[in-house]
Amino acid sequence: MADVEMKPAEEKTKDDKKEEDKKDGKKEEDKKEDTKPPPSPVADIKSNIALIERAVSTFEPRFTHRVLRTLTSLRKRIDDKVLRDAIEELYPKDGPVKTSLLSWLPTAPAVDPSMDVDPAPTPSKAPVTEPVPEGEIYIRLLILHHLYKSPETYKKSIELAHETVDKMQALNRRSMDPIAAKVWYALERSYELGGELADARPRFLAAQRTASLRHDDDTQASLINRLLRSYVNYSLYDQADKLVSKTTFPSSAGSPQFARYHYYIGRIKAVQLNYTAAHTNLQQAIRRAPPPKTAPGFYQAVHKFFVIVELLMGDIPDRGTFRHPVLEKALTAYFDIVKAVRTGSLSQFQTTLNKHAAQFESDKTYTLIVRLRQNVIKTGIRRLSLSYSRISLRDICLKLHLDSEEDAEYIVGKAIRDGVIEGRIVHEKGWMECGSQKGGYGPEVSDVFSRRIGYCLELHNESVKAMRYPLNAHRKELAAAEGARERERELAKEIQEGDLDDDEGMGGDF
Amino acid sequence: MAPQQLAALYNDLQRAFDARPSNLQRCGSLLAQLKIGLIEAGLLIPTGEPKLGDLVVARDILEIGAFWSIRTKDVPSFDRYFSQLQSYYTDYRSLLIFPHPSILPPSKREFPIRGLNLIRLLTQNRIADFHTTLESLPLPADGINDNPYIRHPVNLERWLMEGSYSKVWNAREEAPAEEYKFFVDSLMGTIRNEIASCEETAYESLPLKDAATLLFFTTQSDLLTFAKHRGWQVNLMAGTITFARKSEESMEIPKQKLIAANLAYARELEQIV
Repeated sequence: MADVEMKPAEEKTKDDKKEEDKKDGKKEEDKKEDTKPPPSPVADIKSNIALIERAVSTFEPRFTHRVLRTLTSLRKRIDDKVLRDAIEELYPKDGPVKTSLLSWLPTAPAVDPSMDVDPAPTPSKAPVTEPVPEGEIYIRLLILHHLYKSPETYKKSIELAHETVDKMQALNRRSMDPIAAKVWYALERSYELGGELADARPRFLAAQRTASLRHDDDTQASLINRLLRSYVNYSLYDQADKLVSKTTFPSSAGSPQFARYHYYIGRIKAVQLNYTAAHTNLQQAIRRAPPPKTAPGFYQAVHKFFVIVELLMGDIPDRGTFRHPVLEKALTAYFDIVKAVRTGSLSQFQTTLNKHAAQFESDKTYTLIVRLRQNVIKTGIRRLSLSYSRISLRDICLKLHLDSEEDAEYIVGKAIRDGVIEGRIVHEKGWMECGSQKGGYGPEVSDVFSRRIGYCLELHNESVKAMRYPLNAHRKELAAAEGARERERELAKEIQEGDLDDDEGMGGDF
Repeated sequence: MAPQQLAALYNDLQRAFDARPSNLQRCGSLLAQLKIGLIEAGLLIPTGEPKLGDLVVARDILEIGAFWSIRTKDVPSFDRYFSQLQSYYTDYRSLLIFPHPSILPPSKREFPIRGLNLIRLLTQNRIADFHTTLESLPLPADGINDNPYIRHPVNLERWLMEGSYSKVWNAREEAPAEEYKFFVDSLMGTIRNEIASCEETAYESLPLKDAATLLFFTTQSDLLTFAKHRGWQVNLMAGTITFARKSEESMEIPKQKLIAANLAYARELEQIV
C-alpha cells in the first residue's frame, strides 16, 4: 500500500515546493498569504490536475475522488486571481480552451505585470502539454463554484454550467464521471441561487436517463439526489416517490450522496406516514453524514426530521441529542415540543406549536408536527394506563383536557385497538380497566436482535470490501514466501538428515 | 369543431350548470362534446403555447365537470377531472404564457375542488395520499386554518386519527359547499367500521342501546343488520352484544426462522474467522 500511495504524495510535495519557490520569487510583495506554509491554491489546483491526469492514464478513479475531496476546502480559497493564474500556468499556449476558460473570469488589469513575468520560467520547465479534458472540466467546476459565490454572477454560472454540461456530454468519457457528478451539483446550485430550480428539472431527467444507460454510477447518484431535492423543495412528494420507486440508487455511490438520498427518502416516507421507513432512512442519513463539525447544516436538518419522526412513532428522542454542541441551539424549538409530548399535555403542545410556528414552517416540519397532536393524546393515555389499574372515563377526560366523555370513550377504544395500551372499557360502569403490560420476550425480540446482527455483519463485510490493496504488492510477499519455503525445505532436509544421524546415534545407544 | 361552436357550447354548459337546480343530464352531454372540442383545440392537456383566455375557459369547463361528477355521484369521473385540472392548478400557476407574459388568475373554484379531493381520499381511507396532497397545497401551513374548504377535511382527518368520532359525526352538517355532503354518507360508513373494530377489541360486551348510540344508529334494525354483517353475537333476550374474542395469540416459536438465522450467522462467522 505504501508503495503506491506515497508516490503521488511525494509528487505533490515536489510540485508544491516548486510552486512555492516560484511564487516566493514572483510575488512576495503582492500576496503574503500565499507564501504561508500550506500550499497556495494555485499550487493545489495544479497538483490536483496532475492527479486527475494520473487517474485518467491509470484508469484509477480513486485519484479523482481524492482531488474532489479537497474541493470544499479549496473552494473557500479561490478567487478571480487564483483561477486566472492557474489557467495561465496550466495552458501556457493560447488555445481555444484557454480563451474560453478565461472568458468566464473578469479581466483585471492588475494581473498583467505578473503575467509578463510568468511566461519566462514556465518554458524553461519541460514543455507543458495541455491537460486532459478532465482537467479542463475540473477548472470549469472551480470557476462555477467561484461564480455562484456572489449574487451578481449567478446568471453567468448558469450559463457556464450549461456549457460545461454540454461539453461533458459531447466528450462522453468514463474517466470524467466523478467530476461530472460534481458539475451537476454545481448546475443545480446555480439554478437554485439564480433562478427557478424547477427549470432545471427536464435537464436532470434527461441526463439521469443517459447516466443510467451508461452505468455512470457517480453521475446517476448525484442526479437522483438533484431530482429528489427539486421535487421535495416544491413539495411534490408524489413525483419524488415515483422517482424513487422507478430508479435504483447505485450502491457504489459515495457516502455523502447516500446520506442525501436517505435524507430525502426519509422525508418522503415521513409525509406518507410510513414512519418506520422514515426512521431507518433518517438514521442511515445520520450515520453516513460527514462529521457534525464539518457539515453542521445537514446534521441539523436531518436531526430535526429525525426527532419529529421518532416522536410520531411514539418514542421519545434521546436527551443527549439536544445537548450536542452542534444541535443544541438549532433544536431548541424541537426540544420544547418533545417536552410537551412527553408530558402528554395538549395545552402545552398547542402553545409551543404557536410559539415556534414560523421556525417549523421554514424547516418544513410544521405539518408533521401538527400530526403529533394525536401522539400527545396517546402518550397521555399510556401514562394513565401505566399509573392506574382502573380509571373512570370522566377522569381521563379531565386529565387530558378532552372535550367530552363521549370523545374519551372513542379515543380510549381506538388506543386499545391500535395497541397503544392494554386494557378494556367497561361501558356500564364508565371506566377503563388497564391490563398488565406484555412481557418483553417474544418473537419480536429475536427480530430486533437479528436486525442488529445483520447490520453489524453488513458493516463488517462492507469495510472488508472497502479495503484497498496496492497493485503488485503481493509479488514481494510471494517472493518472500518463496524464500521462506526454500529455507523450510532446506531445514526439512537437514532435519531429515539429522534425524538419520540421530536415529543411528540412538540405534547405537541401544 | 370551430371555435365559435365551442364557445356556444361553453355558454350552454354554464347556463345549464348555473340553473337551480342544475340540469345534470344536459351538463353531461355538453361536457362530453366539449371535451372532444378541447382535445381538438389541444387544450384538454395543454400543449404548446396556448392563449391565456383559452386556458381559463378550459379550466372552467373541467371545473364544472368535476362538480358535475360529484353531483351525479360519479367518483372515478371526479378523479379524472381532478387530475386534468392539476396541471392548471400547479404548472400554469406561475408560468409565463407567451406572447403576453401574465399569470393564470387563480380560480375561485380551486380550493373547493381541492378540498373535495381531500375528502375523497379520506373516505377511501388513503391517508398517506391525503397527507401528500395536503403537503403540496400552495398554501402556507397556517393558511390551512383560514381556508374553510381545506380546513374542513383537515379537521375531519385529525378527529378521525384521534378517535373523536363524535366530532366527525357532528361536523357532517357543517360542510362548506353543497358537494361536500355527497361524501358524508361514505364517510359515515368509514367511521362506523372504525368504531366497530375499536369496539371489538375494547369491549367484552355492550348493551344494545349503547352500541346503537356509539355507532350513531337510530333504529335497532339498522344495528342488527350491521352486527350480523360484522359477525357479532347478539343476545336479544339480555339486550347485549358480545364480541367474539380473537383467540389469545398463542406464542408460537418461529422455529424455521430461528434456524435459518442461526445458520446464516454461523456462515458469516466462518467467513470472518
